Amino acid sequence: MLEISNLSKTYQRGNKEALKNISLKIEEGEFTALLGQNGAGKSTLINILAGNVKKTQGIVKIGQYSIDKNELETKKIIGIVPQDTGYDFVFTVDEALKNQSGYFGIKNNDDYIDELLEALYLKDKRNARLRDLSGGMRRRFLIAKALVHQPKILILDEPTAGVDIEMRHTLYEFLIKLHQSGTTIILTTHYLEEAEILCNRIVIIDDGKIVADEPKEQLMDSFSDEVRIELHFDHELNLADLEFLKGYDPQIEEKTSLKLKVQKKDLSKVFRMITDKKLEFTNIFVEKPKLEEIYLKLISH
Amino acid sequence: MKKRIIFYNRTGFTTLLNREIHRFMKVPVQTVLAPLISNMLYLAIFGGMLQTRQVGIDGVNYLHFLVPGLASMGAIFAAFQNPAFSIISQKFQNTIQDLNSYPISNAEKILAFVFGGVFRGVLVGLLTYAATIFFVGYEIEYPVFFVLSLTATSFVFASLGLICGLIFDNFEKMNFVLAIVITPLAYLGGVFFEISKLPGLLAAIKYINPIYPLVNVARFAFIGVYEGNIQVQIIITVVLILGSFLSASYIFKKGIGIKTV
Ligand SMILES: Nc1ncnc2c1ncn2[C@@H]1O[C@H](COP(=O)(O)OP(=O)(O)O)[C@@H](O)[C@H]1O
Ligand SMILES: [Mg+2]
Repeated sequence: MLEISNLSKTYQRGNKEALKNISLKIEEGEFTALLGQNGAGKSTLINILAGNVKKTQGIVKIGQYSIDKNELETKKIIGIVPQDTGYDFVFTVDEALKNQSGYFGIKNNDDYIDELLEALYLKDKRNARLRDLSGGMRRRFLIAKALVHQPKILILDEPTAGVDIEMRHTLYEFLIKLHQSGTTIILTTHYLEEAEILCNRIVIIDDGKIVADEPKEQLMDSFSDEVRIELHFDHELNLADLEFLKGYDPQIEEKTSLKLKVQKKDLSKVFRMITDKKLEFTNIFVEKPKLEEIYLKLISH
Repeated sequence: MKKRIIFYNRTGFTTLLNREIHRFMKVPVQTVLAPLISNMLYLAIFGGMLQTRQVGIDGVNYLHFLVPGLASMGAIFAAFQNPAFSIISQKFQNTIQDLNSYPISNAEKILAFVFGGVFRGVLVGLLTYAATIFFVGYEIEYPVFFVLSLTATSFVFASLGLICGLIFDNFEKMNFVLAIVITPLAYLGGVFFEISKLPGLLAAIKYINPIYPLVNVARFAFIGVYEGNIQVQIIITVVLILGSFLSASYIFKKGIGIKTV
């Protein structure tokens, strides 16, 4: 669906090497999160796909088309919600979406526009001017705009940055439905729990290079050698009595619960050590690492 | 498979063209009425003042001489401003990159912007003519040819306007080009008087001034009288059309003003 081979980008301004020999293959139906710090190169990658930035080197294929040989064909396959973009303020939502359809060669698109506006809770804003929409509405409008030609791939560059929680959840619902109906989605975001909820594949870019690219479950598993366990006791604890657990980063919370970081292979050993000391716990919780921790590990320099 | 360039996406092309026309038709006072009024002022002042002096072509009523010049000049400014203004506003609105996302060929995009300018240029040119009917009568020697000449002139300057819009990132630079390059070329291009009446070096500017043949061809169509070699001027007009379109194509292909390198 999307094939990127040995892609590099050095911006002329500042001679900045933003992408360093990146290869990435996205299959039809995937929901991929593209993660990375500010300045990692996410938008550069997306802007190359969009035709806004000229690549320095490499091959990019969207569908079966190369962006060098069949650029125009690639436009029909992707829809892009850019990170920072403006609005043609004088138009109404309806006019802008009709124009957008026209640019894609679609003459009568009213039914689909209706559907999109309904799904994005913009129906009553149909005749509002873009300049009169709130920030959240404009974001949703941009998504509708990127979708009028029913692209096979939707790429969203930080669509939820600065959007309130409720709006974010509305968007999640929408994206999940869109994905279920067969659209391949690529999403960059700063909210890691967003990637965790929505995506089935995680790609992490750091300093212009891909440092992780795996199905989400696999990525999580490969980092779950270490688990966090939380033990609850029916009496107060004292750190001094827990000297023997020093290697497992013991922490006492609310006086009666104990948190530990333990390698999976050491789990039974640790439990044995605790019971040997005649400490009786009343409850136990095991916590897998969060994507956030994995992410921080991967990008730490 | 042969690549279709001109008719790759006709609906896309018309949508883009409609937007370009819609944009200036929404503010007709600034875009159409204002140039018309200034042309009327020129006609009143220069026409009234210079009628008795021999500045036009010998034996031709000076007002008749002036009308095609003013119509051409109006077309030049209007055609130039339309795409230039459109592109620069899109840069300001930060929507210019939308152009990269459409499946519309470069040739179609260029022609949409240029035809938008042509439409406005020809409209201003013809309205200038219409407004002078009261003073000079409605007769045109070769009406179709006159419209064609306004179209040609508008095409050349709409292409230049598009190029300037892509190259420049603010309105001040665009206005600078209008004031420092195009206005003087128009004044020295035979809009108001016969160039050969100018002294020495100033008269020689006509050889490098693209406006000179354009105005002359329009005047020939209007009154049937001309200065210099009209065949050569028609050929130059065609060359200017092709040259300006190819230059715009080059700028577009390079992605200047719309793509980041
Ligand atoms: N137009 C540009 N000209 C020069 N450098 C740029 C340009 N755009 C981005 N960069 C640089 O390229 C790097 C990657 O930026 P970007 O792709 O925007 O990162 P991200 O989207 O991951 O935050 C950054 O160092 C940024 O400063
Ligand atoms: Mg970014």
